[in-house]
Amino acid sequence: MPHPTQSFVRNGLLSVIDAAGYAAIGPHLEPVDLPKGTVLIEAGEPFTHAHFLNSGIGSIIVSTADSQRVEAGIFGREGLAGFGSLLGADRGPQTTMIQVEGEGYRVSIGALRNACQQSDSLRETLLRYVHVFISQTSYTSLSNVSQSVEGRLARWLLMCHDRVTGDDIALTHEFLSIMLAVQRPSVTTALHMIEGYGFIKARRSNITIVDRDALVDFADGMYGTPEAEYRRLIGPFG
Amino acid sequence: MSRFYLHQQIANGIIEDPDGTEVIDLAAARHEAILAARQLLANAILVGVTPIGRAFQITDEAGQALLTVPFRDALPPRFINVLDDTW
Repeated sequence: MPHPTQSFVRNGLLSVIDAAGYAAIGPHLEPVDLPKGTVLIEAGEPFTHAHFLNSGIGSIIVSTADSQRVEAGIFGREGLAGFGSLLGADRGPQTTMIQVEGEGYRVSIGALRNACQQSDSLRETLLRYVHVFISQTSYTSLSNVSQSVEGRLARWLLMCHDRVTGDDIALTHEFLSIMLAVQRPSVTTALHMIEGYGFIKARRSNITIVDRDALVDFADGMYGTPEAEYRRLIGPFG
Repeated sequence: MSRFYLHQQIANGIIEDPDGTEVIDLAAARHEAILAARQLLANAILVGVTPIGRAFQITDEAGQALLTVPFRDALPPRFINVLDDTW
């Protein structure tokens, strides 16, 4: 099967690497559909493939022994799942799964490592993304200790809005409760409040962003810095 | 396991639980409601606003009301006793 040309891919990392970098990785990209619930990496299991998304939202989750789950970070068409393999790790303690359906490409870990050895542009771009991802998780941790549930919800909705096309986000209250590490009634109440301010419209499994600028203000500085890092170091985002 | 819905009574209406929660029985659903009320009260205290919820109304899948759990039941009496201690 012919591999996708660089002008065709919508993944933000694959779009910005130079032509030689794309020539190193392009032939190894396999198109994949990513339905909601797809597990890309299971905690403790060896890495086999990395995934570059063109659409959809993935989530990196950590769990306690009694299955309390918390989201550590999200990624979409700007990112890459499985970057631990680039850092010399063979497996990790987090689970990576798809929360909003999409599609993208997978590449075997061996092919990705080889391509990174051949191309400085590819390797440096992917490592800058790791830096941006760490910035995101740093802000998540700041937000978790300093913000109300409503403020944290505003931030997460903006992060999801950046990764979908249009203003509708297909998110269940269950997923939001994992994202925010709160019980579902706290999610339902926070949605009710933010909807009351006129920033969103909330339906059973869908949230529509109505006033993005107001949500950014409401997120009170907790949204925007990692996103600006991506634009500064990698390329267009959101 | 049964599905229970925790609808929240607020000052001027109700916030419906769209999805419900699967637990073993009504006692477990009440426990969920107590934990959820504590989290809502804690968030309101943290932010410095008046909590909007007053109680959870627990219903079954048919919409039958089974139990009302007032938010004040979520405050452990021992906490209140400690706070009321004169010293």
